[in-house]
Amino acid sequence: MRRFTSRNTVWICLLFGAVLAVPLFVSNSFAIDICIRILLFAFIGVAWNLMGGYAKQLSLGHAAYFGLGAYTSTILLIRYGVSPWIGMLVGGIVAMLASLPIGALCFRLRGPYFAIATIATAQVLMLLFLKFRDFAWGAEGTTIPNLGDAPLMMQFEGKAPYYYIVLALLVIGLVVTYCIERSWIGYYLVAVGEDEDAAEAIGVDAQGIKRNIYLISAFLTALAGTFYVQYIYFIDPNTAFSFNVSVEAALVSIVGGIGTLWGPVVGTVFLEATSALLQSWLGGGHGGVQLTVYSLILIAVILIRPTGLIGIMTEFYARLVRSGAATAKEVPLDP
Amino acid sequence: MATTRMATIPRRHARRDFLKKSASVAAVAAFGTTRKAFAAEPVNIGGLYPVTGSFAQIGQGCVNAAKLAVQMVNDAGGIKSLGGAPLNLIVSDVQSDTTVTRTETDRLISGYKLSAIHGCFASALTLIASEVAERAKMPLLTGSSSDQLNKDRHYTFTPFCRASQFALAQLQMSKLVSDAPKVAVIFENTAFGTSTSNGLREQAPGQGVEIVMFEPYSAGLTDASPLINKVKASGANMLFPVSYLNDLILIIRAIKQNSLQIAINGGSGGFVIPDFYKNVGAVAEGLLGVAHWNHDVNADAQKVNAVYKQQHGEFLFEYAGGLVAQTFMIADALERAASVDPQKVRDALSTLDVSSGYAAMGPGGRVKFGPDGKNIYAHPVGVQWQHADLAAVFPKEDARAPIVKA
Amino acid sequence: MLTTVAQAVVNGLLIGGIYALVSIGVTLIFGVVKIVNFAQGEFVMIGMYISYFLASSFGIDPLVSLIVVMPALFVIGVLLQHLLIRRVLALGDMPQIFLTFALSLLVVNVALLLFTANYRTVQAPYSETAIHLGAINLPVAKLIAFVVAMTLSAVLWVFLHATDLGKAMRAAAQNRDVAMLMGINPDRVFSVAVGVALALAGAAGALLMPFYPAYPLVGQVFVLMAFVAVVLGTLGNVTGALIASLMMGVAESLGIQFVGADSGLIVVFVMLLLTLALRPSGLFGGRSR
Repeated sequence: MRRFTSRNTVWICLLFGAVLAVPLFVSNSFAIDICIRILLFAFIGVAWNLMGGYAKQLSLGHAAYFGLGAYTSTILLIRYGVSPWIGMLVGGIVAMLASLPIGALCFRLRGPYFAIATIATAQVLMLLFLKFRDFAWGAEGTTIPNLGDAPLMMQFEGKAPYYYIVLALLVIGLVVTYCIERSWIGYYLVAVGEDEDAAEAIGVDAQGIKRNIYLISAFLTALAGTFYVQYIYFIDPNTAFSFNVSVEAALVSIVGGIGTLWGPVVGTVFLEATSALLQSWLGGGHGGVQLTVYSLILIAVILIRPTGLIGIMTEFYARLVRSGAATAKEVPLDP
Repeated sequence: MATTRMATIPRRHARRDFLKKSASVAAVAAFGTTRKAFAAEPVNIGGLYPVTGSFAQIGQGCVNAAKLAVQMVNDAGGIKSLGGAPLNLIVSDVQSDTTVTRTETDRLISGYKLSAIHGCFASALTLIASEVAERAKMPLLTGSSSDQLNKDRHYTFTPFCRASQFALAQLQMSKLVSDAPKVAVIFENTAFGTSTSNGLREQAPGQGVEIVMFEPYSAGLTDASPLINKVKASGANMLFPVSYLNDLILIIRAIKQNSLQIAINGGSGGFVIPDFYKNVGAVAEGLLGVAHWNHDVNADAQKVNAVYKQQHGEFLFEYAGGLVAQTFMIADALERAASVDPQKVRDALSTLDVSSGYAAMGPGGRVKFGPDGKNIYAHPVGVQWQHADLAAVFPKEDARAPIVKA
Repeated sequence: MLTTVAQAVVNGLLIGGIYALVSIGVTLIFGVVKIVNFAQGEFVMIGMYISYFLASSFGIDPLVSLIVVMPALFVIGVLLQHLLIRRVLALGDMPQIFLTFALSLLVVNVALLLFTANYRTVQAPYSETAIHLGAINLPVAKLIAFVVAMTLSAVLWVFLHATDLGKAMRAAAQNRDVAMLMGINPDRVFSVAVGVALALAGAAGALLMPFYPAYPLVGQVFVLMAFVAVVLGTLGNVTGALIASLMMGVAESLGIQFVGADSGLIVVFVMLLLTLALRPSGLFGGRSR
């Protein structure tokens, strides 16, 4: 865990200031889109990381909560005229409630069993939403009503408001992670993640911890779902419960640094930047070029530095410190 | 399994100038020796199609057709009221992905001075593009049959028939085959499947057609036999599968394997593309379907088809031909608006009324939009696979070949 | 009615044979190497394409192509183990899972680049014929696939139980450390396990070719079912995977028949979730991992 020296704090404030100022300086709509996407997936990654990084429960079905959040707020909006701001919170609660039985079922399993079970639950939800059409528009999906500029209904004309909303979500996610990291829950969490049996042996309520962290993780992921619908104006089961969302959430965390505060953020920025670079070098044209290169990079990261980019950065930092300490050692204490 | 692509991560970035450049190069190259010096600024129009991802096959064909259409417009002198300005097509790959569609539509609209856009083949993608276009006050033309596209919109124009009209045509065609049609409807639980099948269910009683089975199925079948087993048990004498290509292949083959004698109306979608015949082979001969455009509708359509066939080696399929017509509709609107301003183009489209030329080469031969963006003259044609090609066979006014009895 | 049910069961069994070939491979790798190969479906796809090209270029029947496909994929498997899997063995669940995910992504997209998204089909003389046993239809292509799948499974069983190498594999699966102490070379055993698993996946591909179109994403259609079968049959248990696959094929088919054509997968998943709730290690499991 990184200690927050005063120097670190200054850096973080500067960074945050820069991030806040982005929409003021960047007028290119597409660039803002990329930023929004980065922030959104960093946020989803942060939410996932609580489960997958700290508690080491590799969930590949987080899209279940993403979708539940998205659908809850949309149903409330279209059928009952409820503002998505409220719908977002209700969606979070629905996701939390769903995480209880899902967790109860899946937590009995370890490792890959757990992963496969989570994939199955997200798929089941997708299939259910596809099947029961009267409830939620089925496969055709629905667009959200065009309300023009309606801040109270989470619709805006420009891009900047969306940017700030998702930035706020990310900040919330980071703050939550930070607080958990520092608290007793955080210590127990890591213990459970490292070795669940040992943790239980010393009296940690592993099941309870897992359940609680799952609640939080599900809640946050659902918020992202609502935002997403409001942003792309459309929802259908394939998009809402998309396996790609589940994978991306885990991916950015692993590449960036699993179980670290900033891992998902770093991971998202790196992956999106890589993607943008690839796009401009290789252009369009052939389906598959980008993803091929992308997957090669992924394999390289996994093979070379499984602790993720944060691992690389931490090592670099440590080496700096060590070399500094070494130089200090050479100074004689006594003349 | 529903359309989860387990490890495929969609990339949400656009193709940049690469496509823009190649489109311009193609347009310039098309003029060859008769190159004129263009005094007038090109008019930008956007084309949004899924060139990669699950709809890649069809998307590529659409882009080919879009480029050909622009070439044709420019060859004929461009937009005369704008000083002979050529059309400049800006293509974007929406990667069969909803997020990409959102950002790409936005990127095209805000990054280029567009006058109009067309796309996206798949309903979900088109709905999103339509939402973005609506908010950006950019006119969008599309051949997508989703009825949702005509609700509460002012900038979306649909020159071709709607899903409900497809359904009606299929029902009417079933009476050609049998006096007491007992129809089994199996459809993918995708937007395409559900919208078309709803139309079938609603209109069947009115047409005197009995639906004995109405079953959504999960797209991405591992095996169509259980489904066909069910069809067999239902006692149907006609089958309406509503599917994209891969499931259609399995269904048609399973019907053969299970020795099921049943008339088939394959609908639209994956049924009316050259790849269907390539994969299913002679089994396709005589199968009926419906389309919102076919290449034998009139002489203009035949002309375009000939050029396309020469360039790409296969016939010009439904959606692709339709979008050639759409390009000419845009050209017509530009001509009358005498402006590149999207609002003026939109207004010109709303007063469009053509009954000749490439813009009107669809079934019905006339395009005029109602207040909801629907073409009031649009209707589908029934088609039949004959000699590895599609022939329009229904209704009588649109039939270009007799129906071959299987 | 009885005919309908019987036909549904038959259909389920036949496709279950294909699921079995894929799931046995996954469970074999998991049992011996302790890694879940999320890219298994992609090797089915490779098998299909090899078979397709042999058919379209040389007119070789997909069944005959097994002679080429299986060894080819065995070699690929050995290389895979040696170059990639070996390096993540000590790293824990997540890097391992993500390695195979990345691999899956890689293979799909290379295939997209090389072959485009178009569907490729092979028309064999038996592609659309069927044998009729009374009122029951047995499509010949699927029947052959089933028979070959069962034969391969039987051969594998004999290999695992009657040959030294096979026993070594099972020993390594049960307890890697003790096996090493007994002089078993883990590297060799792992390579063979992965090689065999991929050969089975490739076989599934070749067997599918007469009645299923090949396209880059085809593996993912089958792999989900395979995974459910693996978990249901207990990870690492080859016989379990086989039985579970057949059960799932039948459950899916009956689900489609009696619950709804869009409910086949739901039925299977419910089966999975129920089993996991009641027997977390799968139907044939002892202790959970």
